[in-house]
Amino acid sequence: MIVEILQQMLNGLAIGSVYTLIALGLTVVFGILGIAHFAHGSVAMSGGYLTFVFTERLGMSFFPAMAMAMLAGAVVGLLIERLAYRPVRDAPHINAFIIALGLTMMIEGINLLVFGADQVVIQTPYRGVFDVGGIAVAELRLQVIMTTVVLIGVIAYLISRTKTGKSIRAVAQNRPAAVLMGVNVNQVSAVVFSVSSALGAAAGALVGALLAIAPGVGEGLAVKGFAVLILGGLGSIPGAIVGGLVLGVSESLAAGFISSAYKDVIAFLVMIFVLLFRPEGLLGKRS
Amino acid sequence: MRPSLQSFGIAGLVVAALCLPWVVTVPYFLQLIILALIWVVLAQGQNLIQGFTGYVSIAQAGFMGVGAYCSTLLTVKLGWSVWLTLGIAPLFTAFFAVLVGYPSLRVKGHYFAIVTLAYNMVIYIILFTYAALTGGEAGISSVPRPADISIGGVVLSFSGRIGYYYLVLAAAGLATLICALILHSRVGRILVAIRQNETLTEAIGVSAWRYKLFAFVVSASLAGLAGALYAHFIGFLNPDPFGVDQSLNAILAVILGGSGTLMGPVVGAFAVVFLPEYLRVAETYRLVMYGLILVVATIFMPRGLVPLAAQLGQRLVAAFRKTNG
Repeated sequence: MIVEILQQMLNGLAIGSVYTLIALGLTVVFGILGIAHFAHGSVAMSGGYLTFVFTERLGMSFFPAMAMAMLAGAVVGLLIERLAYRPVRDAPHINAFIIALGLTMMIEGINLLVFGADQVVIQTPYRGVFDVGGIAVAELRLQVIMTTVVLIGVIAYLISRTKTGKSIRAVAQNRPAAVLMGVNVNQVSAVVFSVSSALGAAAGALVGALLAIAPGVGEGLAVKGFAVLILGGLGSIPGAIVGGLVLGVSESLAAGFISSAYKDVIAFLVMIFVLLFRPEGLLGKRS
Repeated sequence: MRPSLQSFGIAGLVVAALCLPWVVTVPYFLQLIILALIWVVLAQGQNLIQGFTGYVSIAQAGFMGVGAYCSTLLTVKLGWSVWLTLGIAPLFTAFFAVLVGYPSLRVKGHYFAIVTLAYNMVIYIILFTYAALTGGEAGISSVPRPADISIGGVVLSFSGRIGYYYLVLAAAGLATLICALILHSRVGRILVAIRQNETLTEAIGVSAWRYKLFAFVVSASLAGLAGALYAHFIGFLNPDPFGVDQSLNAILAVILGGSGTLMGPVVGAFAVVFLPEYLRVAETYRLVMYGLILVVATIFMPRGLVPLAAQLGQRLVAAFRKTNG
C-alpha cells in the first residue's frame, strides 16, 4: 500500500513538473502583462509536435530537438505578442482574453492541418527503469523532473539577476513608472512572450515524451496551467511550482486509487475546493 | 421619432418571422433557421453574463448539455411529457448553476473564465464516461418531439419543421424579452455597473456577487433551455455538441453580433450557424478561420456588427437629411 502510494506520488511529480512548466509560462505573462494567455497550451502542443518531427524525420536526439522547438516557440511567442496582443493592450482586459480564445482556435486548427489528427508519442532513449526499494523509477520521469528544475533555474536567474530581468520586474510592479524610467515596455513584453512560449514548447515536448500529444490536449493543458495558478496563488513563481506538484500528485493518486477516467474531474475538484476555502491560493497572501 | 422607428422595425421583424415558413420552403434552410433560433436562446444567455456583466463564462455548451440530458432522460427513461421537461430543464440547469457559480464567482476576470471552462470540461467528461446513464458516445436515439396540442379543435403539431419553428421562435423571443426586461431594470443597471467598475459598485453598497450569481444562473438556464430544444429537435443526443469549442462559438456569436446589445446575439447566432455552412468548402480551415475572425473582430470592431450597422445607418440618415434639407 505504502509502496503503491509512493509509486503514484513519484509518477505525479513527473507530470506535475510539466504542469509547473506550463504554469510558469502562464504566470510570467499574467503577472507581468496581465494577459490570461489561454493559447499557451496550444503553443505548447506545437512545440511537442515540432520536437516529434525533429526526432522522427531529422533523426535528432531528444534534447537538441526540444531546444530547436523552444527556439521556434520563442518566435511564435514574438509573433503572437506583436500581431495579436499588442493592438489591444490598452483595451479592456476582456478583449485580450477573447483574442486568446481566438488564438487557441487558430493554433489548434494549424496543428491539426500541419501535424494531423493522430496521437503522437515522442520516442526517447531514456527507457531504463531502476528499482528503489520496490518503487519503479523510470529514467524518463527523472529526466523530465531534471529538465524542469534546470529550466526553472534559468528563468529564476533571468528574472532576478539580469538587467532584462530587472526591467521585467519593474514593468510588473508599476508599468507607468517603469515607462517614465526609460524601460522599453514593448521590448519587455516581447521578451516575456518569447520566454514564456519557449517554456511552453519545452513542456509540450516533455508531455509528448511522457504521455502523448493529440488535438485538444493543449486546451486541457492550459486549463490545468491556470488551475495550478489558482492553486498556488496568482503571479507567484514558488506558487506555480508548489501548485503544479500538488495538482500532478493528486491527479496521479486519484488515477491510481479512484478512477483514471475521472482523474481530470478530480483535478478540477481540487481547484474548486481551493477556491472555496483559500481563494488567494496555497501560497498567496491574504489581502 | 426614434422610438417609433424602433418599434416599427421590431413589428416588421415579428411579422417577417411569423410569415417565414411560408416564404422559405427549402427544408434545409428551415432546418438551419431553427438551429439559429436555438442559438439565439444560447447567445442571449451568454450575452447576459459576458456582454452585460463583463464576465466571460466558457461553460455555456456544458450547461446546454445539462439541460439537454435532463430533458431527454426524463422523457426517455421516465416517460414524462416533453412540455413538462422543457420547463424542468432550465430550472434544473439553474439549480446546477447556483451550486457551481457560488465558488467560481469568488475569483474575478480571467480566472472566472478558466474555472467555468473547467466546469465545461468536467460536464463533458462525465457525459462521456457515465455511460450507464447518458449512453456515452453512442448516445440516446429517438428523443421524442413535443406532443400535439389541440386548442378548441385546432391541432398544433410540433413533429414537423414548421411547428417546431414556431416553438423555437417563441423561445428565442422569450429569451430576448427576458434579457430586455433585465437590462431595463435596476438589476440590469447594476450588472452594467459591475462591468464598468466592480470595485466602485461594491463601494456604493451593492453586494456585487449576488447580481453576478443572478446573471450567471439566468444565463445558464437559458443555455439549459437551448439544450433541451436542441435535443428534442435533432432527436438524437450524444456529448459531442457540448464540448468547449461550442462554448467558444457562443462567445464568438456574442462578440460578432455586438456584446452588450439586445440584437447583437440574434445577429451573432445566425452568423455562427450560417457561416460554417457557407465556409463548407474550407472545412479543414474552419477552426483557423473562426479563430482568425474572432481575433480580427476583437481588434478592429470590438463592439460587433449591430452597433457598427447602427452607426452606419445613423450616418446615412444624417446624410440623407442634409441633402434633402
